[in-house]
Amino acid sequence: MSFKPRAQDIIGAVALMFASILTGLVLNHFSSSPLALAYRSPEQRLQTELAELVAGPPLQSFPVATIGLDEFRRMAEAKTAVIFDARASVYYRQGHVPGALNLSREDFGQDYLRLRAALEKDKNSPIVVYCSGGTCHDSKMVAQALTSLGFTRVRIFPGGWEAWSAAGLPAQRG
Amino acid sequence: MSAGSILERRWLQLGLGLIVGGAFVYAGWVGFSDARQLADSVASLRILPTRLVDPFALSLPMFEILAGVLTVAGPLRRSAALGLGVMTVIFCAAIASALARGLVIDCGCFGANIPSRARMWLDLGRDVLLLMGVLIVYRPSGNHWPGVPRDPRQ
Repeated sequence: MSFKPRAQDIIGAVALMFASILTGLVLNHFSSSPLALAYRSPEQRLQTELAELVAGPPLQSFPVATIGLDEFRRMAEAKTAVIFDARASVYYRQGHVPGALNLSREDFGQDYLRLRAALEKDKNSPIVVYCSGGTCHDSKMVAQALTSLGFTRVRIFPGGWEAWSAAGLPAQRG
Repeated sequence: MSAGSILERRWLQLGLGLIVGGAFVYAGWVGFSDARQLADSVASLRILPTRLVDPFALSLPMFEILAGVLTVAGPLRRSAALGLGVMTVIFCAAIASALARGLVIDCGCFGANIPSRARMWLDLGRDVLLLMGVLIVYRPSGNHWPGVPRDPRQ
């Protein structure tokens, strides 16, 4: 049978595997943002970023209030809430809810510092956070981080970008 | 011209090598560009021990790029195709296992997507197609296909 592996093919494939491991580790060593090699979940990374922002409040998991598409749409159109897009900046730039600010879960510390002056003027302003939609947890994590930082009226829009764009609502780019 | 004789032609293997190899090179480049995202996708499958997730996410794109390039032509073509074949079988098993466990994940194979069950089935189907391509590339060009008469010109 022609699909039967030959010994030299197996040796070659194993050699390729070791070459790939070596190359991956060497490139990571010289990378500007290397992986730590000890995997940390998104929650753990956000916790670290939060700890670097302020001396203290541990990120806690707790339920966050949610809103539906109709209410979210009204708030976005009337600009009665600060809206945060918790997705990575690359997706934010491709399209987001008009007026939404990018406060990504992945770069939370950096994004928060950029927005801090405006944000901390009033920690009682209504805030709504969304992410991709479906099963994404980024909006919940960012909402919990904001609550840990003292913001009192934080909610999430679970439908996220998926529900917003599926409803044919306007998008803003850049 | 019979289907067997068409399949026997080396250009088909070269063409398939380009398509399949190109797909893996692209997937590898995407993974290399955002290894953290790939690590999150690997972790979401809940198969590897946590301490192996980052090393795997760093090595996988390199393997896809190296093997993808070598699959097109050259003395290591069959080794590369064999490696990609084994890897694709593992991917298929991982996605099927996640589907069976009721997980909703993004495999991260060709970049980040919104996780969904429908997307997982599509990923599984795409991997099966890639596996078929890899098997054709792996097959020595001089042999005939089972059940298909040998081309008399060979």
